Amino acid sequence: MPALDFTASDALSFGVELELQLVNTRDFNLAPDADDLLRRATRDAPQGELKPEITQSMIEINTSVHRRYPELLAELRATRNVLAGHARKMNVAIAGGGTHPFQTWSDRKIFPTERFLSVSEKYGFLAKQFTVFGQHVHIGCPSADDAIYLNLALTRYVPHFIAMAASSPFYQGVDTAFDSSRLSVVNAFPLSGTMPFVRDWTEFNRYYDRMFDLGIVASMKDFYWDIRPKPEYGTVEIRVCDTPLTVDRAAQIAGFAQALASWLWAVRPETSPDIYLVHSYNRFHACRHGFAGTLVDPVTGSSRPLADDLCETLDRIAPHAAMLGSQDALAALHATLSQGNDAAWLRSQFASTGTLTDVVRKQAALWAV
Amino acid sequence: MTLPDFLPHWPPAANGFLVFGLLLLAGLLGGRLAATTRVLPAITGYIATGFLLGPGGLGWLDAGVLARSRVIAEFSLGLIVFDLGRRLDLNWASHDRWLLPMGIAESLVSFAAMFALMHVVGGIDTLEAAVAATIGIATAPAVVLLVTNELKADGPVTRRMLWHVALNNVVATLGITVLLPFIEARATGASWNPVARSLWIIAGSFLLGYAAFRVFTLFARLIGKSPAPQFILTVGMIIVTVGVAEVSRLSVLLALLVLGACARNLDHEHRLVDVDFGRAAQLFFVVLFVLTGATLHPHQFGPIAWIGLAFVVARGLGKALALFALAWPAHISARQAATLGLALTPMTGLAIGIAQPIYDIAPDFGARLSAIVVSGIAILYLLGPIATRFALIRAGEGEPAARD
Repeated sequence: MPALDFTASDALSFGVELELQLVNTRDFNLAPDADDLLRRATRDAPQGELKPEITQSMIEINTSVHRRYPELLAELRATRNVLAGHARKMNVAIAGGGTHPFQTWSDRKIFPTERFLSVSEKYGFLAKQFTVFGQHVHIGCPSADDAIYLNLALTRYVPHFIAMAASSPFYQGVDTAFDSSRLSVVNAFPLSGTMPFVRDWTEFNRYYDRMFDLGIVASMKDFYWDIRPKPEYGTVEIRVCDTPLTVDRAAQIAGFAQALASWLWAVRPETSPDIYLVHSYNRFHACRHGFAGTLVDPVTGSSRPLADDLCETLDRIAPHAAMLGSQDALAALHATLSQGNDAAWLRSQFASTGTLTDVVRKQAALWAV
Repeated sequence: MTLPDFLPHWPPAANGFLVFGLLLLAGLLGGRLAATTRVLPAITGYIATGFLLGPGGLGWLDAGVLARSRVIAEFSLGLIVFDLGRRLDLNWASHDRWLLPMGIAESLVSFAAMFALMHVVGGIDTLEAAVAATIGIATAPAVVLLVTNELKADGPVTRRMLWHVALNNVVATLGITVLLPFIEARATGASWNPVARSLWIIAGSFLLGYAAFRVFTLFARLIGKSPAPQFILTVGMIIVTVGVAEVSRLSVLLALLVLGACARNLDHEHRLVDVDFGRAAQLFFVVLFVLTGATLHPHQFGPIAWIGLAFVVARGLGKALALFALAWPAHISARQAATLGLALTPMTGLAIGIAQPIYDIAPDFGARLSAIVVSGIAILYLLGPIATRFALIRAGEGEPAARD
């Protein structure tokens, strides 16, 4: 097996992958219309790419590569408008959110591509249960070693990303008591978790070769890590976010990631294997409680509310956001600390309407605005 | 020796429970047998069971039993037609500007094909050909909905199919109602204005459907959105609407379609829950199709069947022609148009329901009409469910293994 080649890219260039729900407009359950929507919308998509996902009720938006937040936001809004227009003609709606609140996973249909059929064969029922919807943020890295550093340094901030994007409180018809229940589905996969603690690309390649030789992986796609290097794009990919309820929030989170990466590369805080001591605990707390979760710092030994740490982080990276043009994104995220995240919004809709059908109707309406 | 009074009479007389229960069990067996073929839908099994037990077969289901069971069949059709009305989404038609033209074209071109065949080629009288062709516009909603449920089908073709079925049933019902005065003019002894009768049926049915919807939402506001009370409310409203329509001599079909369409389009405050009739309704659907099968007779497949066959072919070609002609501007692929056309094949019991007023006001005309369309309907009893099943599976929207 030849070593993985890392294709260098412009530092701090960024892009977003967004997995979206297709729902019918009758009872707002998932609708298996991905194939038809892609057939109709692909030629009109302004930039980027529209792709199928593991089951027929999902589609994925891949934005093109950007350098500044306003451009990314403009592209996401334009793509949303094109998709919403086609969806209306098909009598389906598109919604954000990390899970569909009441779909039955066994009713899902695998999208018939070679890769998805092979995933279904490999993972059995997990493949259909993987009908959950995430946002992935790619940050461009000038070198492979920079990517490894960024991957490790970002691990401390996984709970921050989870809490900001959390939008999956309901799953299979019940309130899970989690702000993000989606990641519990991802946890079932054997190659989920975190990248091993390696110092550079050479060490990473040794690990990869070993896994390849053991027959455990065939490509980087087989790792379902929270954050992973993407050598063919020259990026680090943050994969823990639920798909937010709006494309604006998705762009804001990408803007946060870009500014945070800028700060991390500038300051170069030291990375330590100790982060993995607390990672699962911090991650669980963010999934379960959102901003109200607890964050344990293995270096200082302190334990504090995640919201406080996020607030400080936003302040700390503000100069970098100003430089990159994403101040508005950070201001909007700051506001969510008091207003609540998308999970809170979804729960408030359920409280006022009383049915999950109405919740999905409202989240679809919110996405299309 | 005489038996004491407290013992049952011999031979025992069949009562409603016995008839319903036996029809259910017999239908179940037929449905399971059909399912084992992996090709036939369960409906074909129910229909075959009815045929076997009915006057055309063993004769166990006589006219008396069929008459006693009529209320079950009408209740089942009520659920189905209301459900169909809920598919008439006008908001969809406002976004997809080809949806309504395509639906109307499918109805009109198939009408033209059937009319031309009967009138121009077959030399059948203009009015009789027009009435028969109008009946042929409608696709059987019960068949398409049950096959859809059996396959758990969902997707663009399924959604469009149900829209077309809803629309072509509205067009056929309105068409027959408009033709009624002409039929009336031929019949003798009418003491009332035939045009007034048509207006009464159309306006009255629309008004009834709308009024029922208002009552429906009023009740829904009181009971809230829990699924169980909403289920009872929905079924109750359907039964009441059927009852009022019958008492008022209105169109049950039209009133229920309007009720369903209002529930879909005018419930702006989202008071109504889109209840799934589920397994409870399945009981009635089994009986409905066994009874439908019992109306078949072997002579319908005999020498006059060629008329029916030609009728079926013209109908299918007309629908397919309209769908293919408008597929490109409507952004529908050729495969979707083909499967949609095939899925619209069924034409069964409800077609007779549409024609019922004709039998009421002009029995002789009704008898001649039967000779034209009944063999077509009989052929489609058998082919329709199979065609819809095949089409939805080919469209990739139904799973053959989904039946439970």
